Amino acid sequence: MLLYLVWLLPLAGAVLLWAFGPQLKSWAGPIGSAMIGVPFAATLALWPDATAPAGLHVPLVTWLNGWSFGLQLDRLSLIWTLVITGVGFLIHVYSIGYMDGDRAFARFFAYMNFFVYAMLTLVLSDNVIGLLVGWGLVGLASYFLIGFWFERPSAVAAARKAFVMNVVGDVGIMFAIFVIVAKVGTIGYADVFAKFGTAFTKEELFLVCLGLFIGCAAKSAQVPLHTWLPDAMEGPTPVSALIHAATMVTAGVYLIARFAPLWNASPDARSLVGVIGAITAIAGAVLGCVQWDIKRILAYSTMSQIGYMIMGVGVGAFEGGVLHFLTHAFFKAQLFLTAGIVIHALHDEQDVRRMGGLRTRLPFAYFAMLIGVLSISGVPGFSGFFSKDAVLYETLAKGHPYLYAVGVVTAGITAYYMFRMLFLTFFGRYRGDVDPSDLGIRHPEFAGTAPSAGHHAEEEEPHHHAPAWLMSGPVAVLIPFSIAIGWLQFGGDTSPWARFFGDFFGTAATTAPVPAPPFSEVVSTAIVLVLVLAGFAVAWLRYCNTAALQNAVPRLRAETVRTPALLWNAYYFDAAYDYLLVRPARALGAAFVRFVDPHVIDAAVREAAISSQWLGHLFRSFQTGLVRAYALSIAFGVLCVVAYYAVAFGGGR
Amino acid sequence: MIGFWILSILLIASAVFCITAKKPVYSVVGLLVNFIALAAMYLTLQAEFLAVMQIVVYSGAILILFVFVIALLSSGVRPFDVGPDKAPRIAIPAILFGVAALGIIVVTAIRSNPAVVKATGQDTGDAFAFGSVANFGEALFTTNLLPFEVTAFILMVAIVGVVLIAGDEGPGGVVRRKKKRAIEREPILKKERAIR
Amino acid sequence: MSAPVDNYIALSAVLFFIGVVGVIVRRNPLIMLMSIELLFNAANLALVTYARAWVNNAGHIFAFLVITVAAAEAAIGLAIVAVTFRRSPRVDVDEVATLKG
Repeated sequence: MLLYLVWLLPLAGAVLLWAFGPQLKSWAGPIGSAMIGVPFAATLALWPDATAPAGLHVPLVTWLNGWSFGLQLDRLSLIWTLVITGVGFLIHVYSIGYMDGDRAFARFFAYMNFFVYAMLTLVLSDNVIGLLVGWGLVGLASYFLIGFWFERPSAVAAARKAFVMNVVGDVGIMFAIFVIVAKVGTIGYADVFAKFGTAFTKEELFLVCLGLFIGCAAKSAQVPLHTWLPDAMEGPTPVSALIHAATMVTAGVYLIARFAPLWNASPDARSLVGVIGAITAIAGAVLGCVQWDIKRILAYSTMSQIGYMIMGVGVGAFEGGVLHFLTHAFFKAQLFLTAGIVIHALHDEQDVRRMGGLRTRLPFAYFAMLIGVLSISGVPGFSGFFSKDAVLYETLAKGHPYLYAVGVVTAGITAYYMFRMLFLTFFGRYRGDVDPSDLGIRHPEFAGTAPSAGHHAEEEEPHHHAPAWLMSGPVAVLIPFSIAIGWLQFGGDTSPWARFFGDFFGTAATTAPVPAPPFSEVVSTAIVLVLVLAGFAVAWLRYCNTAALQNAVPRLRAETVRTPALLWNAYYFDAAYDYLLVRPARALGAAFVRFVDPHVIDAAVREAAISSQWLGHLFRSFQTGLVRAYALSIAFGVLCVVAYYAVAFGGGR
Repeated sequence: MIGFWILSILLIASAVFCITAKKPVYSVVGLLVNFIALAAMYLTLQAEFLAVMQIVVYSGAILILFVFVIALLSSGVRPFDVGPDKAPRIAIPAILFGVAALGIIVVTAIRSNPAVVKATGQDTGDAFAFGSVANFGEALFTTNLLPFEVTAFILMVAIVGVVLIAGDEGPGGVVRRKKKRAIEREPILKKERAIR
Repeated sequence: MSAPVDNYIALSAVLFFIGVVGVIVRRNPLIMLMSIELLFNAANLALVTYARAWVNNAGHIFAFLVITVAAAEAAIGLAIVAVTFRRSPRVDVDEVATLKG
């Protein structure tokens, strides 16, 4: 019963806020937050049930024999539900402060509640159809929230891009689920996992995994379907924190972990996923090094970190991947929310070139950002260290040394660009009063700030401000988790984390025996640490030593000018899509407009009209008005009847 | 047998004369011969009552009606005048059709099972034998009473229809009647106004 | 019965189609109406023949009804002819072609 509450309360909140938002006024925020907070408490209360061996299962409705829909809370969905509702609750509270004074305050919370409902549908469903429904609904919620400030054309374009990309993924996952339903015949996870071994051939299994992974790639911003995620930063910052960092983009990780038995049985699919994850990790990290928009830096780091998770679950290190999801949800939400505080304080300035020196002005933000950066960089003692280390070493242990190498290098790059962001934002002198052209900023929209007319109404009404603790409070709650949650993994195979999952994910079938890793985990950790230190050192030398701080403005200008075009254009993925898909589609459309439409479709319609007119003329000629002609046709009809009887019944003699 | 053939030739000849005659009056004469020959044919089929009816109703009533109408229409200045044929080639398909249909029916009739002709007891002088007036009358007024009553109704409707169509100077008469009715209504309206 | 049933039916058919041809070919409405009378008579002949063949006077009853209906038809048809062509110099059914499409 409590699970219904968890599932439906956010929906109730969404409907309530949608319907009565204008009347609720400033109560919309607290109500929306409560609709997430109560499910969080309820989920905590359900912890013992969920960790029982069979998990908690609530049947909802049985449609056909073997087609029963229900809710399921097992260890995996428990982790996700706790993050969705817990982090979601904090972000909702934060949003009360951040979105304060926005014209569409209630609509924002309605969308956020709707997103949480959709996400809970995704993770709580006990069958593939429910999963698919949730999958589609989170895409819809994401679309709503990216395009929240729909007065901005760039926000609308970004929302549309995200939606289209997600639909590409939806097609893949639909294909996979339809194949599963067609071959297995039932939709419940338990049935599917029990029967897929006999239902699928090896090739079919690979195709199903591929379809599922296309869905993952689109939703979790994996190469080559990642281009929507940086653009999605057009949404309000809490949205970026909740949807495009902590929860929705990790749905791909959930999906692979949920279908762990399938991946366990298909080594080919595992290799593919691992490779894509590694590519995404390093590609995102490299792009993060050249961004100037604080939210885009975080977006690329999100992409990179999800690459880690996907690589982890791809190679079969499900515990590590899920742990990285958990730690990432905390520290990335914290980073985003802190970035939101900075952006808020600077009146919607998002360009790190125009920040600097905020350490003294925003000491709390500096502290929170520092913790987050340390965590994501994998500094020992912080959450990110444990989870990243777990993923990397598991990758090596499962026999993927190249992926491991990529991951280790990525860790170094991660440290570099995260510290770069930290130094640019909080150290040196404040550069907000410097002429933008001196910093190499040619067009304001280049920096992605695009200050549009009053989407933050508090600039016009400065007398009304929400208390500061509404924004700093949730961040303060997140800080201990960013530090401590990774300690669950402390102790290797006997850690609480390992014991929590046990053999939940089963073991992966391998084609060849895995060679023992060439070095132990301690050595691996040391290598990673050396690279992280190197990344930190480079960032320090470039952005935070005395010379760099004193000459910050000309150096930033030089760096802006010298940014490699390949990186600034994000490997030309957008351009490639434009040339390969958009332009051919437009050309095809134009060709259809010019040739097919007038000469085929219009012509067909015209010809139909003309021929019916002609037919009318033909029949008109029968309508002579001459009685004798009518008499002849009647007589002819009689003749036909008589002839029929003559043939059918005559001829007895 | 010989009687049948003579009557057949007479029937066909008179029918052909009827439809080919230039003037309607000649057609009427052809039709009269046809009707009388048919009445004789009915007698060979032991349908005495029908034979009488044929002469009384068709020859007596219907043909007289035709003659009246011919007289009425030709009372104008000019005799019958037929304009140019608007479907001049219709005769060809019509005759082709007629021949084809005739072929089908005649062939079918010849190829059909010969009907078993039963004895009727006519020759015994029984008053209620098949085809006698008594036999026919009994069937008409007992088993088929309702159809008989319906024919009476049909005839009455036909009379009313004829009166309606031709009675009051055609379409113009309707207009005049409407006017008359409107005049009659006026004082009533005035009375109503006075009451108000 | 002096001749086989077949002969009567064949005669009936011949008369019927003479009537049909008359209806179709002639343009004088009076002759067309007379052709229709020929059709009725041909049908009556068939009815009476079969009545005799099966020794069942239902055929006679039918023929009687047909005669009645023919009378009514002739009356109405002639009334229409009289009204339609009263003022027309031509008595031609082709002139009455208001149904022309």
